[in-house]
Parts: sequence; structure tokens; C-alpha cells
Amino acid sequence: MTGQGVHPMVAVTLIGGLLTVGVYIVAVLDATLRALVAGHPLQVGSVLTGPIRRAALLATTASGDTERPDAQGWALAPALLAGLAAVALATVPLTPQVSVADPSTGFVVFSAAIAFVMIAVFLHGWSPNSPWPLHGAYRYGAQALAFQIPFLLAMLATTLPAESLQIGEIVRAQEPLWNVVRQPLGLPLYLVVGVGVSFWGPLNLPDAADLAGGTTAESSGVGALLWQVARAAMLVAVAAMGAAAFLGGWWGPWLPAPVWMALKTLVLLAALVASRHLIARVRLERFVVICWVVLIPLALVNVFVAGAWLL
Amino acid sequence: MSASWVVDVLFWLLAAGSLVTGWLVFRTDSMVRAAFWLLASFVGVGAMVIMLGAEFIGIVLILMMAGEMLIMAIIMVMFMMNPAGLNPMFMVHQHRASIVAGTTAFLGLAIVAVLTSFPDRPVASGVDATEQLGFELLGGSMLAFQTAGVALLSTMIGAVVLANRQGRYGSADEGSIEPDLDPEPSAEDPGSGTVSDAAGGRS
Repeated sequence: MTGQGVHPMVAVTLIGGLLTVGVYIVAVLDATLRALVAGHPLQVGSVLTGPIRRAALLATTASGDTERPDAQGWALAPALLAGLAAVALATVPLTPQVSVADPSTGFVVFSAAIAFVMIAVFLHGWSPNSPWPLHGAYRYGAQALAFQIPFLLAMLATTLPAESLQIGEIVRAQEPLWNVVRQPLGLPLYLVVGVGVSFWGPLNLPDAADLAGGTTAESSGVGALLWQVARAAMLVAVAAMGAAAFLGGWWGPWLPAPVWMALKTLVLLAALVASRHLIARVRLERFVVICWVVLIPLALVNVFVAGAWLL
Repeated sequence: MSASWVVDVLFWLLAAGSLVTGWLVFRTDSMVRAAFWLLASFVGVGAMVIMLGAEFIGIVLILMMAGEMLIMAIIMVMFMMNPAGLNPMFMVHQHRASIVAGTTAFLGLAIVAVLTSFPDRPVASGVDATEQLGFELLGGSMLAFQTAGVALLSTMIGAVVLANRQGRYGSADEGSIEPDLDPEPSAEDPGSGTVSDAAGGRS
């Protein structure tokens, strides 16, 4: 058993703090990469204060309303998404000693959090009682059901060398060789799915501009702010788990364990955020077909390769 | 580590929550809300299963229910032609039969719950139930679980084949009809065997 449990209050503070910092980093990375890709001069001041200004503006904007919405569901959706990001991040061991929650079923807990994202997004699109958000909700249903199996298979392969569903054991089993080398297909599959889970960039289908904002079409004010924050928090959780499951977590020479973990998470976070500025949005039909016809067989090959490595 | 009254309070909260949300499934007027109340009820049950020490089973229950309830909500909305599932509709039908069925099921389950002597074998605290379950699934019970797994897989393949637009006897868009049982093409119907002629010959 690893990662002695921390005090509940410490755990809440730690996860809350990490997610807050992570969400801010996502916003800063997004602005930086946008300027770099567009070839604009990087204005450090506006990149650093921009996210806070936009958040303050949204927080003070009046919230809109629709005809006969499901008000509770509408209010619950952003909180549910943020809570799922917190649950997902809690299962990631941060250092050999510190992990907020490292149960023997960590992989399943993380997968359950990812599966519930589709409930949160569907609720967010369904509750306003409005056509564009509802289209977004149905889109995400198709998208999420398509990437669930590649996601589970890609993550499952990392549990084979560890012979455990515990994330701490998965990281510990990567001391001789990181999973990104042992299972070269795993990380690319995981990143595709990770972009889909956070409906970001090329896979931002439920909140896409071609649906006038999709599930966010009727959101404004605090609700819109919370939804964006929760989505960025999900990106942070996905990047942290990617660093732990594929990039060897805290393992690395010279630097202390937490620094390695933070660096790897930042690299993955930058890659995920950059996808928004480098890759065009994919059509839903094409993505669903790719998931079932290409990604699932690739993920199965990945599992077989991981198994053959152990023989 | 944790006071036992905290566990007790948590258990009763989850139990009451599961019951109340289960009751709300039938009190709401929207299919999507009903599906989500049912999901909440199952999450409560899953949490109680985790409290019983069956960590893996409890979390897998919660994991599976997310996808299943979403699919159920979408399929229900599709079948009922209620575009959003937000329009109020009456969710309870056939009152007399439902009351009889519900009462019978409740009495049956209550009798079983009261009369059965449940085993009382507390698990030692050091035991990893997940590991033991894994060895059981791929050890003593492997045949049963693999048989069930293959049966489920063939069911899924069958469902995909049934839902396929390109059926065995042609495209579903053009009306795929199985050929006649009589293999001999009769003299007055030289074109029998093709889909369109078979359809014409039957009408």
C-alpha cells in the first residue's frame, strides 16, 4: 500500500489549490499558444492578466434565462463537471509519499469520473430547454460513447505491467521503463481521448461554434464562467493522469519527484491545449467512425503488445 | 481511523438517498429526469456496496450506470417522440397492475430479507478484495464468467448485425425481403430470386 492518506481538509485544500493553479495555467497556455501560432507578438502582461479580467467580467455579467428550463440541472452541471475533475485528479499520485486517494481500484475510479463527464455535459445541454444546447448534448452523447472503449483499453494496458489497478502501482512499475516506450500506442490514444473528454479544440463538438456555442449557447454570467473553469479543470486532471500512467509520474533523474510530476503534467497540458490552435475541428460522424473502426483495434493491439511484453 | 458513527450516518444517508431518488423516478414528469434520478439511486447503492468492502464491484456499478442511464434516456426520448424529454408527460400507467406487481415484488423481497440468515463473516482489514476478486474471476469462476462474456459478446454482435442497414437480403432502404422458400423458379415468374421481383410476386 502506498501513499498514506492525507487528512481530509488537507486533501480538499490540495486538490482545490492544484485545480485553481491548473485552470489558470490552462488559460495562460491557451493565450500564449494562440499568439505563437498566429505569429502575434506575445504581450506578457495581457496574457497573464487576461484570464482574470475575463473571469471577472463573466462573474459580474447578468445570467440569462430560458423558457421553462430545468434550473436545478442547469446549476448542477458545472459543479458536477468540476467535482468529477477533482475526483479524477484525486486518484493521481503526486509523489511517492503523497497521494490524495490511491485506492486499489484507482483506475476504475478515474474511469468512472470520465464516464460521468457525459452525464454532466448532457445535463448542461438538456436543462436549458433550448435547441442548440440540446444538439450539443446529443453530440456529446455520441462522442463520449464512442471514445469510452478506446479510453478504457488504453488505460487498461498500463495496468498490465503493474499487475494492479492502483495508480500508485502503475507509476511504480514504470521505474525501469516508462509506459510511453513500452506501449507506444498508449499515449497518443490517451491524448486523443483526453481532448475528447474535455471537449477541447478539435473535439469540441458539444460546445462548437457551428452550434452557436452548443451546450453553452444559453449560458452567460457565472454559469458560463463555472462551465469554462470546470472544463479547464478536466484538462488538468487528464494531463496529470497521462503523466502518471504513461510518462512515469515522479520518476526521473536529478530533479526531485514532485518537480518531475509537475513538468510532465505541464508538457501534456501544453500538448492538449495546443491542439486547439493546431488542429481543425473534426466532424462528429468522422470521429465516431474513427473511434469504432480505427481506435478500438489500435487500442486492442496496444493491449496485446503490453501483454506480449510481459511474457 | 474513522469513528463508527460516521460510517453509520453515511450508510443511512446513502440508504435514504437511494430510496428517495428511486421514488422520485416515478414522481417526475420527464423521461430524462427519471433516468437521472435512477442514476442517482444507483450511485447511492454503489456507494453502499463500496462501504460493504466490495470496492471494485461498487465503483464498476457506478461506472457502468453513467453510460447505461444516458443511453436509456436517449432511447426513451427517441421512442416517445418527445423531442427534448423536457415536455411534461405522465410517467405512470396501468395503475392497478403496477400496484399489484409492486406490492408483490416488495413483499417477496421483504420476506427473503427478513427470513434469510445472512452470513456474518467480517473480512480482515488487510485483505485486498479487488485482488481476491480478480483471482476468483480468472480462477475458480473463470468458466462461468468467460461463458457469460462470450454470450454477451455474441449478443452484441447480433444486435449490430440486426441494426445494420445492409441486411442479408439487400439494403434496408429498398426494403430487404428474404427470398421464397421454393428454390425452383416457376415458369411464369422468370425473374424470381431478385429482391424487387420477390416483393412484387408476394403482393
